[in-house]
Amino acid sequence: MSDHLNPNQLNALADGELSAEQLAPVNEHLAQCASCTSNALFQSLLKSATAKAGQRYAPPPHLHDRLARLAKQQTTLQELSTVRGPRHSAGALAIAGWAIAATLLLACGSILIFERNAHQEASFSSESAALVTEACDQHIAALAANAPPQVISTDRHTVKPWFQGKIPFSFNLPENLPADTRLEGANLTYLHNQPAALLLYSIGKHRVSVFVMQRTGSDPSSAVQADHAGFHVLAFSTADLDVFAVSDVDPARLSSLVTAIEQVQNGVRK
Amino acid sequence: MTLLPWKRAVRSSGPQTSAFEDLAMPLLPSLYNVAFWLSRNATDAEDLVQETFLKALRGFSSFEQGSNFKAWIFRILRNTFLTSRTGLAAQRTVALEDELRGREYAQAPHPEAAIDRQTPEMNLLLLSDRAALQAAMETLAPPLLEVVLLADVEELKYREIAAVLDVPIGTVMSRIARARAALRAALQAPTTPSMEVRA
Repeated sequence: MSDHLNPNQLNALADGELSAEQLAPVNEHLAQCASCTSNALFQSLLKSATAKAGQRYAPPPHLHDRLARLAKQQTTLQELSTVRGPRHSAGALAIAGWAIAATLLLACGSILIFERNAHQEASFSSESAALVTEACDQHIAALAANAPPQVISTDRHTVKPWFQGKIPFSFNLPENLPADTRLEGANLTYLHNQPAALLLYSIGKHRVSVFVMQRTGSDPSSAVQADHAGFHVLAFSTADLDVFAVSDVDPARLSSLVTAIEQVQNGVRK
Repeated sequence: MTLLPWKRAVRSSGPQTSAFEDLAMPLLPSLYNVAFWLSRNATDAEDLVQETFLKALRGFSSFEQGSNFKAWIFRILRNTFLTSRTGLAAQRTVALEDELRGREYAQAPHPEAAIDRQTPEMNLLLLSDRAALQAAMETLAPPLLEVVLLADVEELKYREIAAVLDVPIGTVMSRIARARAALRAALQAPTTPSMEVRA
């Protein structure tokens, strides 16, 4: 072999990727060429040094425990889903949670009907009221079940693509959230028998459920604000989407989050 | 031979958490290390590992027992990174011409003149500076950094790296050559502060 070894050969030599047939002429050349031998030695030393330098970051101690716990929760969810069918996967963690949620749903429904006469000034339509009630009930059910989201991520670029193929519409998520506000994940859910994206946020220690669904009404509606069973409900509509946010957090802080979500739907970069 | 040896028909049985944890948990330090290198951020690295872990668990029924679990889960990690905020930003910064230059480099003539200036003693001195090497690794573009991590730190074979990155083996070899050339150039650069101290 008269030519020097090329970079691919030198790297393959350092990485142990040369076959016996390839190795023989390489060794023959190295025996005659000090330059290639020096280069091959450097590549081997570089590989060894990189292997040591690359082992730089150790996982925090809590990560192992958290992943083990998530694995068990995920397994429970999937096992219940297998037994009860795929439509029930979102709330399958605890049957007891569903029982509580169903009770709360009935109670909240009753309370809403009772309170509607006392809140005549509420400006939203009966259809909107039903949606608000259902959104509120699902928020309560989610709190009661204490199940992990179907997609757990603080990254909007993980959460949004997760809905591809699951819902017949798309939406935007704000990149910059108000202070102390964090995206926790999301679930696929159903509101009024329609698929909806349930975005789960936290504001401090308060949980916020944001429901995004395809707009059904033809009339453009203004923002809706209501209190329901101690929870604050804020809603807005765009040309294509209806959005409901439910939480027990301070209304002003909930409003900041809803404003951020509304602005990003309208193309305002946040 | 298939490029993705772990792919096969989904089994009808439910998830086998214990088997999954037995395989996945020992890889947590490696997954986190690579995630941190790629995302350059502890919080993002934790999110990335957690998302990878859950995706792998959900898809574990499609993993063929006995095939390469490490390559399988690193592929999930890498794909998850690419769809993350930092991953998308990194992709935007890698120019196509970089890729083309890399192919040319793989066929480039032997840089004999450059080699002759370096004695084995100097090379040893250069490579013993761990901080300088880590700083050099930080300057690598993500496509080059990931091959270095997979080849050198995780000791995956070229065929496994090609499956993780979903690229031909030739591209893996090209990127490894470019990455090591870049590391070498960074270490030998006279402006490296730690090198000046040692010199």
